[in-house]
Amino acid sequence: MNSLKSQGFAPVVSHRKKDGSEWTVKEKLMLGLSPKEYMAVQLRNPFNWVLWAIYAVGLPILVGRFIFGLGWVTHSSYDYPWGLFLGWGLFVMVPLSASGFMMGTTVELFGRKDFKSIERLGLLNGLLGYLFAVMFLQVDLGQPWRLIYPMFVSLGPAAVLFLVAWHVATYLSCQVAELVPAFAEWMDFPKAKQFIKKIVLGLTVAGIILSTLHQGALGALFTYAPGKVHPLWYSSSFQWFQFFVSAVFAGLSMLIVVSTLTKWFMRWRCDETYLNNLSKLTLGLAKGASLALITYLVIKIIGIAHDNDWQYLASGWGAWFMFEMVVGVILPLIIYTMAVRNSNASLARFGAFLAVFGLALNRLNTALITFNWQLYQEIPHWREVVIVVTVYATYIVVYRAVLARMPILYTWKENK
Amino acid sequence: MKKLHRRSFLKGGLAGGAAIAAVGTSKHAEAAGSFGGYPDSMGVLVDLTKCVGCRTCEAACNKEQGLPAPDKSFDDPSVFEEKREGGLPRRTTEKAYTVVQKYDVPGREHPLFRKVQCNHCNEPACLTSCFVNAYKKTPEGAVMYDPTVCVGCRTCMIACPFYIPAYSYSSAINPVVKKCIMCYDTRLKFGKPPACVEACPQEVMTFGKRKDLLKLAHQRISEKPEAYVDHVYGENEVGGTAWMYLSDVPFDKIGYDTHLGDQPIISYVKEFLAIVPMVLTIWPALFTGFHLLSNRKDALKNEDNKS
Amino acid sequence: MGGRKKTLMGMAALMLLTAPAGAQSWAADGPGTVELGSLANHYSAVTFDHAMHVGVAANCAECHHHTTGLAPTDPNCVRCHEAGAQARSVACKDCHSDKRFSAEDLEKTGGNPQLYHKGKPGLKGAYHQKCLGCHTTMGGPTGCQDCHTRNDQGDAFFHSGKYAPAPKASGGHGGGH
Ligand code: SF4
Ligand code: SF4
Ligand code: SF4
Repeated sequence: MNSLKSQGFAPVVSHRKKDGSEWTVKEKLMLGLSPKEYMAVQLRNPFNWVLWAIYAVGLPILVGRFIFGLGWVTHSSYDYPWGLFLGWGLFVMVPLSASGFMMGTTVELFGRKDFKSIERLGLLNGLLGYLFAVMFLQVDLGQPWRLIYPMFVSLGPAAVLFLVAWHVATYLSCQVAELVPAFAEWMDFPKAKQFIKKIVLGLTVAGIILSTLHQGALGALFTYAPGKVHPLWYSSSFQWFQFFVSAVFAGLSMLIVVSTLTKWFMRWRCDETYLNNLSKLTLGLAKGASLALITYLVIKIIGIAHDNDWQYLASGWGAWFMFEMVVGVILPLIIYTMAVRNSNASLARFGAFLAVFGLALNRLNTALITFNWQLYQEIPHWREVVIVVTVYATYIVVYRAVLARMPILYTWKENK
Repeated sequence: MKKLHRRSFLKGGLAGGAAIAAVGTSKHAEAAGSFGGYPDSMGVLVDLTKCVGCRTCEAACNKEQGLPAPDKSFDDPSVFEEKREGGLPRRTTEKAYTVVQKYDVPGREHPLFRKVQCNHCNEPACLTSCFVNAYKKTPEGAVMYDPTVCVGCRTCMIACPFYIPAYSYSSAINPVVKKCIMCYDTRLKFGKPPACVEACPQEVMTFGKRKDLLKLAHQRISEKPEAYVDHVYGENEVGGTAWMYLSDVPFDKIGYDTHLGDQPIISYVKEFLAIVPMVLTIWPALFTGFHLLSNRKDALKNEDNKS
Repeated sequence: MGGRKKTLMGMAALMLLTAPAGAQSWAADGPGTVELGSLANHYSAVTFDHAMHVGVAANCAECHHHTTGLAPTDPNCVRCHEAGAQARSVACKDCHSDKRFSAEDLEKTGGNPQLYHKGKPGLKGAYHQKCLGCHTTMGGPTGCQDCHTRNDQGDAFFHSGKYAPAPKASGGHGGGH
């Protein structure tokens, strides 16, 4: 598409074509290309070839999971009841999607209108991340058709997961609402946009509360397993706070990563405002992330001191822990700081990739790698890995599809 | 029984919504840990020194609970040599609610056999972690599970400190948690001891009120101090369990986790549950305040511009 | 160890053994043989050669505790039960209940604060603990079917014999063949 644009193709940015007639929904869906052109573009893209390969293998296995049961795609482990589906799909995806509430807070609450041009990307990153976390959950649940049981059929309000379930559900609706304006512009429903505008403050505050609690709750889930998670990754008192603070830097870093990817691969879709502001905003995000990183580092250390886990640092697990802390926390912290000081957005982008990696490593360490550290290491079944890749690929496909159409990376030009 | 009411009150009163529910959560948490179990609940005292590893208990459980046929006969000793991942002895599965493990203890003349099943904790981790309230601790002491509401998130398996609940992964249509229910609906409810207890030829297990069993356990230890280690496993572990153990070998040498502590598992979650109401009440005010502040700046600016 | 272990494994009994008075033949100062097993359901009855065991045991108190007039062997018991008085009955089942898990028995043992012998085994437990305990140290038979043959119901219960699971049916049967 980038090459198309350089050849003079102009993507949809308003309801009217150049000649003044209106785009139909179908035309909008096809990015303003003719069906033939559209197909050609799809076929030409090597990334799509990769996706097709993934689906060729992954879809049958995903279907098989629902026909033959979890036992067919996992090791049916009783000792490791949670595998990659939750380890990656819930515990990594959700913090990486914390960008939604933070962008909402920055722009709507703190009135930092300068972040406006990236706000929608942050919101979308949040919405899709949560949506697909729920997808992963649906793959993992033994009886996915009972998903609403904790809401309406049989309530266990004293459980942390109850809180996660309710909050993720409510927050998802918040995020949908927050993105209604983008959809409304694209579909030409001005009323919907106006309505959301009225309640956006409420939505944002709700977003902060829900996010604080469920990001923390994901950590608190592991406090149920004091003997199973390695002490270096476990803290009865601070687990929730560690998970919450790391979600802050993870969400911001993920936003930097995604915005970088859009800049590289979807430049055709970005408008001037977005592209011109991106470096400055990247540094702004980097600054926020570095503050969260330093807070995180401090509470990690406090957590270790509080439980007096120092002796574990000398073990093999300790070395692994140090690796996570150095590569995933300290290094990005240093890089972010340097980037902000020297106004070097590319450096900040590199730091963001590291921070995202660090977050993912932390969650996988807590949920899978150091879990049952006194028993044995479970290696996920290959089918489990294939399913995770397939669902994640779908996440990317949907993400890309929305970005290509709705006014996320560009500003919609109203009629008149 | 008061505790029971508090629980059902919570359950009924919180259907309203997430926010209120979350507040209730912490109330429960504050009280958690003080719940010492039902005073007259039943229990089982397992005297490991007496077990000969005949696996009659396993056979009895299989029959009583209508479990699928075993992979090997119940009189086949080769199961003792079976190892699951990590070189660990076999554990409870979806097909076996109880298993007997063998430990060759250096210096002990005969191997020690250990029967494993749900310990029916006083304040069960499985119960407190379940978000659809599928578990129930009956006044008789059994920890029951309701398969008709279970969603299959398997948090209870994460939470159980004894690695007891198994999951029928093999079923695509109706996978559920499988664990010992202390033969509640067929026996315990009617005052009868569990099937495994009654079947054991060695009477390794004594069935009775938990508080009586504790006395009995300590009496046995004090009568034969040379025959037992001075520890009743389950008396205090994770807040106490209905099934308790006597052994002549230190418990950490025969696969028992002796680092669990005496606090019920829910007490480790309390610190989080305690902040929930704070966030719910303080955050809205705090952030609306921030918003007003930052907008005031804008407003002032606007006025400046005007003037 | 393997061999003994193997026999130990087979040691299994879901039977309540009793000693019906009618089935005894008397030797000089005690029954010659005793038929144990009126309540057996997974195993056939055991014919206990009392006379032979009299010859093997050091004295009656080894098995009969304090009831025969001799001092009990366990120093704990001596604290209350000294040598001298002979009990009204010396039959196992008169002290060790053959309905150990009946409601009455549970009430009696659990609810009674006066009762000292709270953990007293029932008849089945008493037999097995006594017999097996001694057989293990003395090298007597310890497999289930060394003493009592398992019946068809027992085979079904253990998923053994003709009820053995198909693929790995050979897995080494314990105790007597
Ligand atoms: S039936 Fe009794 S002796 Fe046999 S293995 Fe079970 S607990 Fe041990
Ligand atoms: S042993 Fe495990 S499964 Fe059983 S009651 Fe306790 S926590 Fe629940
Ligand atoms: S109590 Fe009942 S369900 Fe539990 S192990 Fe014994 S026989 Fe099985």
